[in-house]
Amino acid sequence: MKQLSRRDFLRTGGLVLAGAAGVAAVSKPVSPSSHPPHQHDQMDHPGDLPGTVGEVDHAKNGFDPTQILTDFDYGKVSTLPGGQILREYEVISINKDIEVVPGIIYPAWTYNGRIPGPTLRCTEGDRLRITLKNGSNHPHTMHFHGFHPGAMDGVPGSGPGGSVEPGGSFTYQFDADPFGVHLYHCHIFPLARHIAKGLYGAFIIDPKGGRPPVDHEFVMVMSGFDVDFDDENDFYAVNAIPFHYQNHPIPLKVGESVRIYLVNILEFDLLNSFHLHANFFQYFPTGTSMTPAEFTDTVMQTQAQRGIIEFSYRYPGMYMFHAHNTEFAELGWTGMFDVTE
Amino acid sequence: MTKINKPSNRFSLRTLILFLVPIILLAGVIALFLSTGGGLNLTPAAPVEELTVERYVLDRGSIELHVRNTGPQELTVAQIVINSAVVRYTIEPSTTIPRLGYAEIHLNYPWTYAEAYTITIFTSNSIPFEVEIPVAFETPDPSASTFWGFTLIGLFVGVIPVFLGIFWFPALRQLGRQAMTFLMAATAGLLVFLGLDTLAEALEVAGELPSVFQGIGMIGIGAVTTFLLLDAISRQQTQVTGDEATRRLSIAMMISIGIGLHNLGEGLAIGAAYNIGEIALGTFLVVGFIIQNITEGLGIIAPVLRDRPGIGKLALMGIIGGGPAIIGAWIGGFSPSPFLAVLFLAIGTGAIAEVVYEIAKLIKKDIEKQSMPYAVFSGVLTGMLLLWVTGLMIK
Repeated sequence: MKQLSRRDFLRTGGLVLAGAAGVAAVSKPVSPSSHPPHQHDQMDHPGDLPGTVGEVDHAKNGFDPTQILTDFDYGKVSTLPGGQILREYEVISINKDIEVVPGIIYPAWTYNGRIPGPTLRCTEGDRLRITLKNGSNHPHTMHFHGFHPGAMDGVPGSGPGGSVEPGGSFTYQFDADPFGVHLYHCHIFPLARHIAKGLYGAFIIDPKGGRPPVDHEFVMVMSGFDVDFDDENDFYAVNAIPFHYQNHPIPLKVGESVRIYLVNILEFDLLNSFHLHANFFQYFPTGTSMTPAEFTDTVMQTQAQRGIIEFSYRYPGMYMFHAHNTEFAELGWTGMFDVTE
Repeated sequence: MTKINKPSNRFSLRTLILFLVPIILLAGVIALFLSTGGGLNLTPAAPVEELTVERYVLDRGSIELHVRNTGPQELTVAQIVINSAVVRYTIEPSTTIPRLGYAEIHLNYPWTYAEAYTITIFTSNSIPFEVEIPVAFETPDPSASTFWGFTLIGLFVGVIPVFLGIFWFPALRQLGRQAMTFLMAATAGLLVFLGLDTLAEALEVAGELPSVFQGIGMIGIGAVTTFLLLDAISRQQTQVTGDEATRRLSIAMMISIGIGLHNLGEGLAIGAAYNIGEIALGTFLVVGFIIQNITEGLGIIAPVLRDRPGIGKLALMGIIGGGPAIIGAWIGGFSPSPFLAVLFLAIGTGAIAEVVYEIAKLIKKDIEKQSMPYAVFSGVLTGMLLLWVTGLMIK
């Protein structure tokens, strides 16, 4: 408890009097004020919806979350002598200053200059050759979730692929298995920092013959940014940029089927979640089964958990989707579906 | 060193050049340093930024932050988070604030009465600056009723106690010479106590000031120069009049100025505290406060007990001693400034110290005329204990 000083007493004494004197406050009109530069003329939210001021420079960042939603990298496809499909990918790790929130430049580490890294997509049983070139000044790796030999694990101590030095490169080679929605990330010590700085991405393995066709497939990678390096996230988002899909709602039509590949790579916080408004969805944990495990409107994922969400909207309207850790939502992990007839 | 050159008082061209040589050399060194860096690598890994929230104003559905860039270079406000929610803001005059520049940030936020808020301002370099609102309530506006409210506060804590003390004048006039000297010593004791309190408060507020304002240095400037200025004024008056009674009256006047400055500091603190919602504890404390400050009035009249100052003079001294509490409450309540607070408190410290010095000179004269070995000791002790004991009641 704070010790009272003479001044504290004076304050308290004075306040009694102020109360006795009936000190009233009168609200005054809000003075007109200049808007910050670089401000975006998107919908002027009435009331008190949280949100950032302005818009990040997507062109300068080199990626746009709206495009990341549907940007699948199937690699360079060829057929091996035995008939197996070969997919070759090139990924380069680079340091890049990214405007993660309007006005705030974060010294990120990226795969291919974007956060999340490219969504690598293939089919169960394909031979994958992923070449990581390290264009940064730190050692990095790509550690994939899925079946593969130890030397392909991208973890220090597992051979040359376990630490790709600056200027070096390594080709990870393995067969895609099991089908589902997975992820990859850097696995260099200190791991939390290497992940939090932006070295992660979605890795989708389709079942042979594919999943049932839908009208829309989206990738959503949930993460956050600790911009002041205190090991606590300051901002949260899907596909890196906070409030992006609130400012730029995802257009849908009534009745259209939607499949979301949802991945959580959030560092520092224990849990993340996804909640869909005015709707329910089928949930396929890790996407490793064709049969949904749950019919719900909220799922929870710890770091590296992921799953597939399938739904369609019955009615037109603007519908939120967001982390139901409300704090995360109000710090950026929130978005909108704009459903029309 | 036997040969002594008689210095010439004439200001020759040669003297001028000799004066200018170091300055020209200095300019050269600075130019060299700016162009080469002087061999030092002075580029910091991260920019050094400092943003001071000088004041916040809560209005219905909105929060206004008055911020000053107290860092070494300009900074740009990027985003603002209140209690784990990113909020939209507007800022005047610009998101980029120059060094020592000032800006007002406006937030539309549905704050709730009596709840606590933490606001984080992120600059473009991802450096967070936090301001805490411990208890949210509408900041008083300078309306007629709040003005009157702060006036009442000042009246109760400053004017009324000082005048109550002065009302002892007729009774104390009946006392003998020795008792009067004792009272003077008691006044000195009171003032030493108040002076320490004022200095402590000045140091405390100085600690809250952004380092660029050099609070401790300001206390030195304010206190030392005030002491010397009052000393000079007092010497000048002695030279002009030489009359003992006039001199005692002027000391009484200076005591009231010193106490007035002390009360100005108290008013500032009260007003500022009201502004940020420090909670009231009870009327008992106010009563205790009045009792304690009565002694201030007593101190003012002690030097002139043997004279016949007019009622007008006494009233004037009462107003000078107590009135500043009202002014302080206004300033603290409507435009609190830690910078001004430190300055006033420093001036108060210097003034009180000088007045103690003057009283000591008066007492010395009295003691020379008549022996009273323990009057000073017991008087000063009584004065200090008086404040200490009444202080016990109110803490």
